[in-house]
Amino acid sequence: MAVQKTFTSIVLGNRIGIVCFFVALVFTFFALRLVDLQVGGHEKFSRLAAEKHGVKQPILAERGNIFDRHGEVLAVNVPVRTVYADGTHIKDPLLLAHVAAPFLGILEKELALKLASKRAYFVIRSGVSELEAAGMMKALEESKLTGLYLQPGSERSYPNGKMLSHVLGFVDHTGHGIDGVEHFFDSELAGRDGYRRIEHDRKGLEIVLYRGQEERAIHGTPLYLTIDMGLQAIVEKQLDIAMATYKPAGATAILVDPTTGEVLAMASRPNYDPNHYSDATPQELRNRAVTDMYEPGSIFKIVAAAGAINEGVLSEKSTIFCEHGSFYYGGKILHDARGDYFGDLSVRDVLVHSSNIGAAKIAMKMGDKKYYEYVRRFGFGDKTNIPLPGEISGLVNPPARWDKLTITRMAMGHAIAATPMQVVMEVAAIANDGKLLIPQLIHHRNLEKGRVEPLVRREIISSNVAQSINGALIDVVARGTAQHAKIDGYLVAGKTGTAQKINPHGGYLEGRYIVSFAGYFPADHPRIAGLVVIDDARIGSMANFGGLVAAPIFSKIGEAAARYLDLLPVSTDDAKVFPSALDSMNHE
Amino acid sequence: MNRPLSQPSNRRRTNNGIEIPLLAQWLVVFFLIGLLGLFFVYLKNQQHAIGEQTRLVEAKINELHAHHDALIAKVTALTSRGALQKRLDEKYLDLVPIAETAIARTTPARTLGEERTMRTASLRRNLETD
Repeated sequence: MAVQKTFTSIVLGNRIGIVCFFVALVFTFFALRLVDLQVGGHEKFSRLAAEKHGVKQPILAERGNIFDRHGEVLAVNVPVRTVYADGTHIKDPLLLAHVAAPFLGILEKELALKLASKRAYFVIRSGVSELEAAGMMKALEESKLTGLYLQPGSERSYPNGKMLSHVLGFVDHTGHGIDGVEHFFDSELAGRDGYRRIEHDRKGLEIVLYRGQEERAIHGTPLYLTIDMGLQAIVEKQLDIAMATYKPAGATAILVDPTTGEVLAMASRPNYDPNHYSDATPQELRNRAVTDMYEPGSIFKIVAAAGAINEGVLSEKSTIFCEHGSFYYGGKILHDARGDYFGDLSVRDVLVHSSNIGAAKIAMKMGDKKYYEYVRRFGFGDKTNIPLPGEISGLVNPPARWDKLTITRMAMGHAIAATPMQVVMEVAAIANDGKLLIPQLIHHRNLEKGRVEPLVRREIISSNVAQSINGALIDVVARGTAQHAKIDGYLVAGKTGTAQKINPHGGYLEGRYIVSFAGYFPADHPRIAGLVVIDDARIGSMANFGGLVAAPIFSKIGEAAARYLDLLPVSTDDAKVFPSALDSMNHE
Repeated sequence: MNRPLSQPSNRRRTNNGIEIPLLAQWLVVFFLIGLLGLFFVYLKNQQHAIGEQTRLVEAKINELHAHHDALIAKVTALTSRGALQKRLDEKYLDLVPIAETAIARTTPARTLGEERTMRTASLRRNLETD
């Protein structure tokens, strides 16, 4: 009995203890599980939670705008929206289509058909303007309709359309620069996108309280080009007139500041509208100023004359016998153009009258190696390093690959190929006391205004020699082959070029020419150096010369540019230094 | 059943009386903790509400910013060189010389004789700053 009592008391006495023990066991289990979840599974569950609710939201960088040297806008970003639909939120596709269609430029029936889909995400239209998108959302809100949503974005816009298209280039739909400055300075213009780690609720809305790490976007750098849109408009207008008048295959014009190498204007035809770049043909996309090479013709005679005088082989007044227009050399006869029959000509007059025989003899006096050296020193065969994509270096064969005739042909601008940019820099070097500069296209970045410092590539010839050539080039315009390049009130120096077009199948194309004029003004204090190239003008062979086609265009550009820049007209005292120019000015 | 004689007959039962001060003390502690919890929840809700307002304001700012950019782009397009040239060609705009009588001069006008040529204001300004 006593034993049974003891057992009962033990059992009954510990019953509470046992219950407590089991309860404690359960809670201990839960506690251990909690510790396991919180500590052991911390990384795993944190990652799962982040994947489920956390998002790395991009903060888009704004692409830098592009301006001309005076701050005129050339390329800007326009905010646009992508309209997308969530089929699971659409209750009445017909009504939704009726309300939204007028804002989207889509037929109501067509839109209703699209909206009938039950997919959670499908794009209705991209590139919808901010104003249209805002109008649509307001209309939807008033009609209490859901299912259409907006995604932000931006589109590049070029307010001047076709003007300066080859320099500016364009960006593709992903916002990457594809051509022109947009491509060359893409990394600077694009900036760097930032991000923000966020969490969102069941509706997909951000929970601001749980914003995490944030890296701010670095917006693209605004670029101010050296281009002067006033001059660019003048150049573009004259090229359009030339295209309408001569109906050539192409045309190019460039203006540079010869003292700094700044490109002031650059245009080519045919061109395209970068706002609708997908409509452009490959021909229109070509920036002929830097991607095309051609035989420069007589403009190249400057190289032989400048080199020979600089080397002391000849002086400006040395006489060259020009064989009365027919020079038999290397088994071939070299003629002067247009049936000229020159006897003795000074080096200066060889340039003035553009004697092929005279130029060939000057180059021959220099010798192959020396002449080649000067060709290279003038920058031919090398890229000018203008900051534009697709620049080519032209074609200059070394003397080892020349035959006996090459030097005579190269001296008159054949058997060599150069880009218009190389040719204009050649002439600009004469205007800049013999210093060859690197062409520049960036005036300043952001708001760091300042003067563009010239980047001297090399000194090709001495200042005295440059002055001699300058005098000769003034004479070319005053009484030589480029009299149509004159600008009333200003001294102009320059040289014409006429070269037959190369036949892709060998030889030259009969009756088809690339004519050009390269010059600068005012010749006493050069402010602008320029080049006009007209490729295959549709006029008779007798009129298809650089002096008759390209020089007048240069004159018109120069006249308008001088007025635009308000250049001081030359006084009689200044012109005394250049007697022939004074004579020619007085005769008019 | 009779109790053994050795046991006191008037033994007082165990006193299980509630200790009011101690209870009150704990109640106050729990109340304060509860209040703190509620306050925490209230603050958290307030933070969420402010966060929501922040999100809406940010969305509005972005919207206005985009709207502003769109208008700027529109103004740029309408006042671009090409657009203005087109309007000039269409005679929608015209350049009219300012009559001499309509110019209020702060400095006397320069005559042709000084520089032997008539200069525009822009070049004169450039010459003076050079």
